[in-house]
Amino acid sequence: MTQSPTLSRRSQTSAVPQSRKPRRRGADTRAGYTFLLPWLLGFIALTVGPMISSLYLSFTNYNLFDAPKWIGFDNYATLFQDERFLQSVGVTLSYVVFGTPLKLAAALLVAMLLNSKRRGQGFYRSAFYAPSLIGASVSIAIVWKAMFGDSGPVDQGLSFLGINLGGWVGNPNMTMGMMILLTVWQFGAPMVIFLAGLKQIPADLYEAASMDGAGPVRKFINITWPMLSPVIFFNLLMETIHAFQIFASAYIISNGEGGPAGSTLFYTLYLYLRGFSDFRMGYASAMAWLLVIVVGVITLIFFKTSKSWVHYSGDAK
Amino acid sequence: MINRRNFLTTVALGTASAAFLSACGQSSPAQTGSAQNPVTINYTWWGNDDRAERTRKAIALFESKNPDIKVNGNFTDFAGYWQKRATEAAGGGLPDVMQWDLSYLRDYGQRNQLLDLGTVKINTDAFDKSLLPSGQIRGKTYGIPTSTNAFAVYYDPAKLKSLGIAEPDGSWNYKEFNAFLADVGQKGNGTLFGGTDYTGIWWNFNIWLRQNNIKAFTDEGKLGFSKDDLKKWWNLTADLRGTGAIVGEDKATQLLPKSPFGSNVTATEVTWDNFMAGYLADSGAKELKLVPVPSDDPVNLGLFLKPSMLMVASAKTKYKDAAARFIDFMVNDPEVGQIFKTSRGVPASKTQRDGTTFEGTDKLVVDYEKSIEKYLKDAPEPPIVGFGTLESTFKRVTQDLNYGKLTVDGAVDAWFKEAEDLIKQNA
Repeated sequence: MTQSPTLSRRSQTSAVPQSRKPRRRGADTRAGYTFLLPWLLGFIALTVGPMISSLYLSFTNYNLFDAPKWIGFDNYATLFQDERFLQSVGVTLSYVVFGTPLKLAAALLVAMLLNSKRRGQGFYRSAFYAPSLIGASVSIAIVWKAMFGDSGPVDQGLSFLGINLGGWVGNPNMTMGMMILLTVWQFGAPMVIFLAGLKQIPADLYEAASMDGAGPVRKFINITWPMLSPVIFFNLLMETIHAFQIFASAYIISNGEGGPAGSTLFYTLYLYLRGFSDFRMGYASAMAWLLVIVVGVITLIFFKTSKSWVHYSGDAK
Repeated sequence: MINRRNFLTTVALGTASAAFLSACGQSSPAQTGSAQNPVTINYTWWGNDDRAERTRKAIALFESKNPDIKVNGNFTDFAGYWQKRATEAAGGGLPDVMQWDLSYLRDYGQRNQLLDLGTVKINTDAFDKSLLPSGQIRGKTYGIPTSTNAFAVYYDPAKLKSLGIAEPDGSWNYKEFNAFLADVGQKGNGTLFGGTDYTGIWWNFNIWLRQNNIKAFTDEGKLGFSKDDLKKWWNLTADLRGTGAIVGEDKATQLLPKSPFGSNVTATEVTWDNFMAGYLADSGAKELKLVPVPSDDPVNLGLFLKPSMLMVASAKTKYKDAAARFIDFMVNDPEVGQIFKTSRGVPASKTQRDGTTFEGTDKLVVDYEKSIEKYLKDAPEPPIVGFGTLESTFKRVTQDLNYGKLTVDGAVDAWFKEAEDLIKQNA
């Protein structure tokens, strides 16, 4: 480890002065890999290695103490008879399906509002971005819990409007709404990306459309949406994958139990409980790999369908 | 997510390689220290700041009396505690001495992670002989109880008085207890509830089984009761769920991590008697009282003293002698009793108990344990492997019952499925 940088530096200096063109490339590549090495070692030791061992563990019965026992596909088969597992799949899917589009819609809407030239836009941008910086933190989940409790601000505000829902935190029918609101509120990251995308759209397109008498809706459908579609695709992909992995906020709001009545038992939370509370690491690994496969397949589907609606500049369309 | 999944294996690999390296490069270390060159042992416990403060005092006292040993203390909360121990055990690096809970004794003891304390010198002469078996598995002693606790019904006399309800004397059967809860609920009129659903607590069920002379677990580690028994148990409060007698689960959930009783939402709570100090601090009540749990058999209350916590040592500790001396000190020394009072429970060792002066609420707890002395029977042996999961599933399933998401039959099936699955898993 300590030797290799010195070695390659020496080989590089000796390589450069000789014949320039053909060798240069090899030296550059070597230098590139040398600089990559620390990261590459970390990637292999800390990501690839554990992933392979977790793949192996997913076919075993492993409780952390005794040696793993090979049981083939038993873990995967048991998953589909496990009611709590099926519940966690349902909870996670409804979160992804409803939460992600809402979050992206909010992000796009605010990005469009912030795209116009007004005074103090810098401040507004920061203000809208801030929640996504702190949103995943422990304190926010705790604040959220207090806000949506019995006679918390949300309950009181709604009562003022004549809507009496009571606290959301303890009501299994309301917790999903609460979790989705929490993620929608953290629209900052996709918003910034949308904003960058919006700035790339040439202003003369809108000018020309205005001359032809197009209204704002028309301009959005025919100019903004297609011109922005690569950015929308990117955000949709990232946010969907992200949504599948929700953990921290659910863990804190439900005290790590996925309650009330399993309504916040997200996939990763159940995986964690199986692994670290029940010491069923094989089962947890099987769940993890199933998630990897499902997210992979969904990503693939997104890419396949993207051809019909995502337009890159320079395309013939 | 990826990081979390990797975490364990990473830790395991890391500690494994560290262990490998240290195994290679080590000439056998000194197993005993001297005042000039003390050995350092690691000690870890769970608890709040109050316990941390008291523990630090006890450690300082130990170090002043034993200059050849240094104790490196470390603590977390209860839930995080077991996750840490699991990863450490997987990597072979458990701390030398640990505070332990009965629910996890079998998981680690049976898997050879804990030191057989019969092989080292710890004085247990001052211990009640009915208590020691709860730290033993198959004849080996893995844990020494620091202190005991017993099950009790807490109530707030001021709250009962304001509702015009007479204080209970604790000689009640389940029907009378239910009627009492319903009375509180009715007069409390939505602001004060009778209690939480007492059928949701495993240990309460265990006491009811003992009252009916049924063993919770067989010696082979199987369930000792039937689905019908559990059905009867969960049906005990069937008529009370959803009424003022039992606080709604939606309310209780929001109060977490405080209990409804500590939040002044209920008038009673059925649980361990060493929670007294915590309840007093949480609720701000002037006075709380303790009476025995209900029983349909007036001479068999099913009560027992349980070690509220145990002291254990790692099987792989390099300093067995130092670890044993520290455990002996923590469980027997009268001055340690003065430091902890009843915050760990009532001291288990008579030497330590006699050396401690109990006043105020501490005296209430000690007096309660004295008052039930004639009903006490042998403590149960350490529960089966994976018991922690069964206990939390018990609670969760009862919550679903209270939400109306499950029927009693469905709840019984759900719990048994989990239990049978777990027993098969660990067989």
